[in-house]
Amino acid sequence: MDDKLTCIIVGGGIAGLSAAMILAQKEVPFILIERGSYSGAKNVSGGVLWGTDLARLVPGYWKDEQAGFERFVNHRRLTFLDEQSAFSIDFKSSHFDEPPYMGVTVLRAIFDRWLADKVQEAIDKSACAEESFLAYDVLVERLIMEDDRVVGVEVSGGETLYADCVILAEGVNNLLTRQAGLQESYVPADYMAVGVKEIIRMDQRVLEDRFQLSGRSGMANEFIGHATEGVEGGGFLYTNRNTLSVGLVLGMADLRDKVKKPYEILDTFKSHPVVADMLRGGEVVEYSAHVVSTGDMRAMPREIYGDGLLITGEAANLLLNAGKAIQGMDFAMHSGILAAETVAEAREAGDFSRATLQRYRKRLEESYVLTNMRNFQDAVRFLHQPAMFETMPRVACDFGRSFFTVENRSMPKIRHILRDVVRRHTRPLDMLKLMYKAWRSL
Amino acid sequence: MKKLSIADRLGLVNYRNQGRSQVKPHILVNTDICNSVCPHKCTTYVCPANCYTLDEEGRVHFQFEDCIECGTCMYACDQGAVDWHYPDPEVGRGVNWNYG
Repeated sequence: MDDKLTCIIVGGGIAGLSAAMILAQKEVPFILIERGSYSGAKNVSGGVLWGTDLARLVPGYWKDEQAGFERFVNHRRLTFLDEQSAFSIDFKSSHFDEPPYMGVTVLRAIFDRWLADKVQEAIDKSACAEESFLAYDVLVERLIMEDDRVVGVEVSGGETLYADCVILAEGVNNLLTRQAGLQESYVPADYMAVGVKEIIRMDQRVLEDRFQLSGRSGMANEFIGHATEGVEGGGFLYTNRNTLSVGLVLGMADLRDKVKKPYEILDTFKSHPVVADMLRGGEVVEYSAHVVSTGDMRAMPREIYGDGLLITGEAANLLLNAGKAIQGMDFAMHSGILAAETVAEAREAGDFSRATLQRYRKRLEESYVLTNMRNFQDAVRFLHQPAMFETMPRVACDFGRSFFTVENRSMPKIRHILRDVVRRHTRPLDMLKLMYKAWRSL
Repeated sequence: MKKLSIADRLGLVNYRNQGRSQVKPHILVNTDICNSVCPHKCTTYVCPANCYTLDEEGRVHFQFEDCIECGTCMYACDQGAVDWHYPDPEVGRGVNWNYG
């Protein structure tokens, strides 16, 4: 391995594998280095890969019975919780039944491994079949820099590899991005969250009947309110083939301030009467946790490229939760694709300096990834205020309880119910201000 | 559903190098900082794997064996006590997710 490589990809998750797929297709030789024993061994996600980029990377993937996704999503639900109640906005449509699907649920240890197999197939078919490979059980310890320029990596065991450029796809705990000086070595908790999750197995027929699934259709349900015991964040429940992904995303600074244990909040969420009804009879087969970015752009590295360097996926803190969906894996996929396209161009031009690699920034700015992150920053901050995860769910559930109570007496009109509910939980003026801010930011 | 303790939950996690007698720690914690100047000792409650515990005297102790590499302590500790690295694939600990 004395020869200089064209490209080293650090990390075999979705961002790294997506970059690898494009490089294989474009006949650019590369080595992908993953510290796990297989792709997905170290990865945790909530569980939905949104959008149709997967169809671009693996055309017609849905025709393969063995494809690594769990279920396609045709049923969305956003649920507000108080201690007893659940008030949901629910949308299901056969419009979402046709491929390419708008979202698929995934389990990363299964999905990433399948995607890595697809990348290996692409390598085998390419002219670089002898040069490109996926290396497992290898940790990149540090970047090798020469005057601010990344020229290679040093791996566990001390071996050094040199390359024209390095694509970092190391995930949210981006130690190498920090070493490159693109992010402070200490990243505070303020714009970070921690996800905790359980995989709950149940009989497939029970699961399909309980959630009204047919074939490979699935549901994605997000929760705000009592799910988090007053801590900033929310809950989720996604249907997999014969398991559920059930968990929470909790604002880390708020968790610290409120002195709460994440797995105890998970107990509270799971024992909510409405959630417990969905989980009954299931068996927990895995407990996991991972840091996740909140989607606040203040957490992004100072720059996402440098001389000989490109940063993709959550290493660049690419994530968005603006109330509609938690998007991270699609951003990882898209940024990986754009980084690889830039590397292919750089190779053509024979220049891997920042002058050429800045095209990655330009591509990402023009793509849905950074346009959406920029357009919805107000929404991200709006959703992280206590009124949204405390007051609003209480108002919704209290309204639901009053509205759906039918008694044998004269009943108040809806506007009177609404007025009384709002007065019980907040001030009407505050509610109007909140509505105005919601209108502006969402 | 039956309520699971954190020990039950960690019992479901598949760790690397479980049979190895000598395992190299991947996180170094200067608990002198935790036990002298830290006002909150937050790792003892925010860590999802309960790797940081308090003894009867309220002193912080850290063990890396149950760590699931989530990264929480690296951000939550604002006192500079946590020196966080990824585990070495050969001689470190760390996770192998079955589902992820």
